[in-house]
Amino acid sequence: MNGGAMRRVAVIGGVRIPFCRSNTLYADLSNLDMLTSALSGLVERYRLEDALIGEVTGGAVVTHSKDWNLAREAVIGTRLDPRTPGITMSQACGTSLQAAMGIAAKIAIREIESGIACGSDTTSDPPIVFGRKFAQRLVALQKAKGWSQRLGALKGFSLSELAPLPPNVAEPRTGLSMGSHCELMAQQFQIPRDEQDALAVESHRKAAAAYAEGFMDDLVVPCAGVYRDNNLRADIDPEKLKTLKTVFEKSERGTLTAANSTPLTDGASSVLLASEDWAKARGLKPLAYLAHAETAAIDFVSGEGLLMAPTIAVSRMLDRAGLKLQDFDFYEIHEAFAAQVLATLKAWEDPAYCRRVLGKDTPLGAIDRTRMNVKGSSLAVGHPFAATGGRVLGVLAKLLGAKGSGRGLISICTAGGMGVAAILEAG
Amino acid sequence: MTADINALSDWRFEIDFEGLAWATFDRKDETTNTLSRRAMEELWAIVERVQQGAETKEARGLVIISAKETSFIAGADIREFESLDTVARVTEAVEQATAILDCIEKLPIPVVAAIHGYCLGGGLELAMACHYRIATRDEGTRIGLPEIKLGIFPGFNGTMRSIRLAGPVQAMQMMLTGAMLRPSVARAIGLVDELVPARPNLRWAARKAALQGRRSRSPSFGKRVQTLWPIRGFLVRKMRDKAAEKARPEHYPAPFALIELFERHGGSEMRMKAEETRAFAPLMVSETARNLRRVFRLSEAMKDLAPKGLFKPNRVHVIGAGTMGADIAAHCVMSGLEVSLQDLSEDALKRAETQARGHFSKRYKTRAEQEAASARLILDPKGEGVARADVVIEAIVERLEVKRALFKSLEERAKPTAVLATNTSSIPIEDIAKPMRDQGRLIGLHFFNPVPQLPLVEVVKGPDTRESEVEKGCAVVTAIGKFPLVTKSVPGFLVNRVLAPYMMGAMQRLESGVQRETLDEAARVFGMPVGPIELADQVGLDICKHVAEILGLATGDVEGSRLAKLVASGKLGKKSGEGFYVWKDGRPERQAPKEPWKAEELQALGEELVKPLIDECEKCVAERVVAGADMVDAGVIFGTGFAPFRGGPLHYRETKRASA
Repeated sequence: MNGGAMRRVAVIGGVRIPFCRSNTLYADLSNLDMLTSALSGLVERYRLEDALIGEVTGGAVVTHSKDWNLAREAVIGTRLDPRTPGITMSQACGTSLQAAMGIAAKIAIREIESGIACGSDTTSDPPIVFGRKFAQRLVALQKAKGWSQRLGALKGFSLSELAPLPPNVAEPRTGLSMGSHCELMAQQFQIPRDEQDALAVESHRKAAAAYAEGFMDDLVVPCAGVYRDNNLRADIDPEKLKTLKTVFEKSERGTLTAANSTPLTDGASSVLLASEDWAKARGLKPLAYLAHAETAAIDFVSGEGLLMAPTIAVSRMLDRAGLKLQDFDFYEIHEAFAAQVLATLKAWEDPAYCRRVLGKDTPLGAIDRTRMNVKGSSLAVGHPFAATGGRVLGVLAKLLGAKGSGRGLISICTAGGMGVAAILEAG
Repeated sequence: MTADINALSDWRFEIDFEGLAWATFDRKDETTNTLSRRAMEELWAIVERVQQGAETKEARGLVIISAKETSFIAGADIREFESLDTVARVTEAVEQATAILDCIEKLPIPVVAAIHGYCLGGGLELAMACHYRIATRDEGTRIGLPEIKLGIFPGFNGTMRSIRLAGPVQAMQMMLTGAMLRPSVARAIGLVDELVPARPNLRWAARKAALQGRRSRSPSFGKRVQTLWPIRGFLVRKMRDKAAEKARPEHYPAPFALIELFERHGGSEMRMKAEETRAFAPLMVSETARNLRRVFRLSEAMKDLAPKGLFKPNRVHVIGAGTMGADIAAHCVMSGLEVSLQDLSEDALKRAETQARGHFSKRYKTRAEQEAASARLILDPKGEGVARADVVIEAIVERLEVKRALFKSLEERAKPTAVLATNTSSIPIEDIAKPMRDQGRLIGLHFFNPVPQLPLVEVVKGPDTRESEVEKGCAVVTAIGKFPLVTKSVPGFLVNRVLAPYMMGAMQRLESGVQRETLDEAARVFGMPVGPIELADQVGLDICKHVAEILGLATGDVEGSRLAKLVASGKLGKKSGEGFYVWKDGRPERQAPKEPWKAEELQALGEELVKPLIDECEKCVAERVVAGADMVDAGVIFGTGFAPFRGGPLHYRETKRASA
């Protein structure tokens, strides 16, 4: 574009606010409030006051129509240079990772020098709207001239039209909730309940240890008086998990429970990316580099597992990068559901699946589980859809920065049967 | 007298292409906007220019807004008050200001005040003279008339205008308490007409309001009728009773003068304005007001001890969940910090938590805020919080060996940047630090009981303590909303050292037959918030005895003294239900004096009672226990509640000498 070779894209670091279960401590906050807090935390951490950033890109999944310009509005509420553009976009749970990928591409081709990927979500402040029929009636009413037209617009009105429509998290094409889809995957890949529960316990314990050792201290900034994720249970009791009822499939076939699925969560995250020159000029040391990225989708409408697309994204990305699945020091596999993670791992080991879906003669194989989600993941800290990618990027960059070498793999599944994957490398 | 509109220093002025006049207040070389003489003169020039622009139709509206991040206008410039030393000078200055405000009010075009940050005192009075007020919902926006805290009341006709906007009940309450209201409250009582979410919205909301010519809604019938007899008379009686509970008219005349002003003239806006000016000037030049201004300056000086922006604590680890440790922990949580509280006893931790939750439910209104506060208090029996803490505060038993061992181990486990502090009241810092690798690291953070009420924390500096650690200690203290006083590591530090001879002196008089109620009343007549005997009961008699001993004070006939006997029999004061007094529901059971003393006798006794305290203060200055006489006064006022209207013990003695 501007000529010259592609540049390396540095991940300077991520900052997020603590994540809270829906309708708890952030019950009074909006997406704009939370996103502004996360960005302000990043600004303070990396001394970005008055900095003109190339772009701030991100968004929210559950969002009000008034937040159509969320990213830019959030920028205006921070101490960044007010001329910093804000681009609002979304790709369900992949939003902030996809935002980082877009920014990285622009940095690589020298279009911009720096960018902030961000995301926020709240289900405590849901956009509740009228049904289509009543909305159309209101529009007609507004356009109507004179009483007869106005009466005409109200013709056939029934009180039932006034029933508000809360946002629906079900897949529009299948009518099934995300959890129901994941339950189907658990059945298909034969993921037993006890394995799912064990993963949840592990996630909580690792995240709690990360807090205790201070790992989270510079990644998480307090917001509204909250300092830590309130879904996190340091003293999680595996015995108690066994007693929980299944939530999506109530028969004895069911395996997904409230503990091995992520709860509805409020929160926001942000990540600073930059060219090496820009980072150097501001005295910032990159923690890691965003080396590869891939987005894929799966044909769930025809019956594939809804949340299996990351298997494809990772496979294609590895081919492009010339790497094996085993060539990583860290794996950040977003835990939308324990069953999603376990099904993904199992699929990569399954020759039939790899042949049929990934077009591979040999399976990708197993990973070293001790390298996966070493600081816990969404099952423990929660999953505010659009904020999760930013959280994962921040954690993995810090891990690589501390290690000083090696690489890490990110895999995130999203609604609509999509998967987003990326590779970070240490400097 | 008026300034040149083309050469303004503290304001920026323009009439834009839409015909809106913008008066942007941005005091030169100051971080906070206050109304100085020059700023008022420039405002006068702006108002005249706008007047002219309105006549020629060049200007359609005026917006008054601030360029500062944290203040609209924080009030009059208190530093200039000292030059207003006669009634005539005060009256002249006030009349000039009220004339400007009247002019603003009478402008024929809409005038909008756009408020973000502090809008206090004269700043609110100016805003109230505008036709419409918009404020941001920002956490830092505060609106109020806190003049009463400086021994005066609003003098730019704010008494009349606040009553007109908010009605007498709300306005008088705000002025009598000096409360600084949140924007939503100010909106609810009518001081503010409109709220916007944040600062970027403010300019545009103000533009719209000015172009549309919005005006405050006229006050409701209900509010107007409250200014009329007989309702006014009823309100006045209630206000007077309430004010008398808090202060004595001979010590703090301003609230009573304000109530009288409303009582006599509240029915007429015109008379209220004129009489406000007349009653204001004598208060302004009174000794009480001068002394309260001094106290205000001292408090600002203490806050300045903390370097800004260098050290911002987020996590506090408190060791010891006794009364003091628990109170410190709860206070830090309520200052927005995350606190891990460590104690060997699970019971003590549970007690501390229950008690803290009680505080939270009173302090926070929403469930989310309460739960967030509860989540910020982490019970930490194993001390895991040490490694992550920015500040570690020790509040365990006063035993040297235990403290030494603790800090030796803390030094290994805490972050290198963390502040290590002891809350000891009787052991020298340097003794505790002795076994530490880095003896320059330890400081004292000496809190006072009850922690929520007493605004002072002594930051104790041992002979080896590094200056940088002391500064960080001061930053911790201001971060939790208290005043830091840097104190040398001498027995009793400053506050206990000067209090002890005062209390022991009173106890000796008690031994010699003076009734405890008489002693306490005499101290209150002098202006102390509590008498010495009651204070001893509140502090705890065991602690009094201990402090007296380490200071080498004779506690009367040591074994036979009433103090010694009470301590021996476990009657330790308020905490055990009985000391010198019997305590019921947190109050001492006072008895009527057998032979009441005359007023002048009580006054004389009061003076004699505080004499040992002031003597000790002089010694502390000589020994440089704190940085100078002003800091002694500040420490004694904020650490003991010593009669603020007297300006501090040393200032009081000096004034008395000068007038003798």
